[in-house]
Amino acid sequence: MLTEAFMIRAFLVALFLCPLCALLGVFVTSRRMSFFGETIAHGAIGGVALGIFFGLANPTPTVIVFSFAVAAALLWLKENTELATDTIMALLLSGSISLGMILLARLQGDFRGDIHRILFGDILAVGEQDVAVAGVLFLAVSSFVFTRLSPLTLISAQEDMAHVCGVNVRRLNYLFVFALTLTVAVSVRLVGILLVTPMLVIPAASARNISLNLRQQIVLSLVIAVISGLCGVALAYHLSSPCGPAIVMTCVGLFLITLVARPLLRLARS
Amino acid sequence: MADAAPQHEPPCVAETIGLNLAFNGLPILRNVSMKLPAEKVVALIGPNGSGKTTLLRCLLGLQETDSGEIRLFGGLPLKQALPRIGYVPQKLQLDRDFILNVREFLALRLQTTRHWFWMKRKALDDRLMAAMAELGCESLMDRPVARLSGGQLQRVLIAFSLLREPELLLLDEPTAGVDSPGEQTFYELIGEVHRRHKMSVVLVSHDLSMVYKHAHHVYALNGNICCHGTPEEVMNAESLKEAYGIGVSPYHHHHAH
Repeated sequence: MLTEAFMIRAFLVALFLCPLCALLGVFVTSRRMSFFGETIAHGAIGGVALGIFFGLANPTPTVIVFSFAVAAALLWLKENTELATDTIMALLLSGSISLGMILLARLQGDFRGDIHRILFGDILAVGEQDVAVAGVLFLAVSSFVFTRLSPLTLISAQEDMAHVCGVNVRRLNYLFVFALTLTVAVSVRLVGILLVTPMLVIPAASARNISLNLRQQIVLSLVIAVISGLCGVALAYHLSSPCGPAIVMTCVGLFLITLVARPLLRLARS
Repeated sequence: MADAAPQHEPPCVAETIGLNLAFNGLPILRNVSMKLPAEKVVALIGPNGSGKTTLLRCLLGLQETDSGEIRLFGGLPLKQALPRIGYVPQKLQLDRDFILNVREFLALRLQTTRHWFWMKRKALDDRLMAAMAELGCESLMDRPVARLSGGQLQRVLIAFSLLREPELLLLDEPTAGVDSPGEQTFYELIGEVHRRHKMSVVLVSHDLSMVYKHAHHVYALNGNICCHGTPEEVMNAESLKEAYGIGVSPYHHHHAH
């Protein structure tokens, strides 16, 4: 398995992106932003369609651009209309999927295979460029989160208090959305459009089951995400299945283990 | 034969001059001028929707006004004034599942060379315990902030503010989530903190009896400042009727303890 170059690439990308999703996921879940990740991920289908339209072998650049357009539209609508946030997200989510599907249908050729890969991820699709992008993203976003851990935690707790403590709340919210959008858009290649949100939510939720404080939750989320990513890619190889479902199933398995471990740990601690 | 020395006004930590604010054409604050004297407890009373919380938000730079002026600490820019202010909101917006515990929450306010994430529990406790002990909540250190009761949360939030020794502490309806017997103890605690730290305290409250007992100065707000003065001056039926719009009993009962 490790003698094949595409597997090494897939392992590396999983090693970079899964912990990154989990790290952001701790704050995404605490700030009830899971649906935001879902909207951005689904918006990616429009980006993929545009990539194919422009004849790109790797549609990541158009996916990133399209995801940012969706995120910007979301923020603009939230700030300039009185619509509820989930209404805006439902509008953008369905709108971008429909746009993407219409674009794909208008293009020449048979894209059924492509759609399958877009929805569920594909190890074979991971190229050297993807490894480099994932590596750079990992360094940039993880240093952003760790250097701004206190302000990020404060705005999750109370934005007005964060302001009084000297945090530029608006700017930090934008930076967080920027980091999240970029991570989701890049992760689509590995785990697929449908399965990015579970990568944000499940490791954080599993770690929450067995943690006593935020520090433990962050560390355990990272550990669970790394295990899920590596085992999931190996599983996908052995079962010849798409990559996303294999990673997510490993996550779900670990979640169930933490669910069982939770009362046992409580007993042991008391 | 010198004339009597001119009466100097006590120094004030914050001042608003003619603040006006309207949302969608609906006036919220009308010509609000207020002075917060140094080292005094000022109560801001008024009915629901009278603009009390909005006025606090304006003071903190969270809400822009349509006109008027806010002077903090003699005219400091907001960025320099904020580190001297402590703010205790009514509640946090934490998801009940967020596992941030009290120790970690307080550590967010610490100025340390080493980030709290990498600090040992003992080192953190050494820095935090004094503020927690003062508020009588040392035992809450390991509890998730999202699971605290109303009274416990308010104490933790005050401890959070005290970590930076503020000169002005703003409390937005601090007893909103506190049960009746707890309110009395809570106000006494605020009085204690005020005496010990010699800070100015602004207390947004609807509890007239507590205000009567603990505040040095009262502003009655109902869009505009209806009246202000010592509790004795303000808490009479006429002033309260002006503020609340209906007859309200001054209600300065005396507890027999």
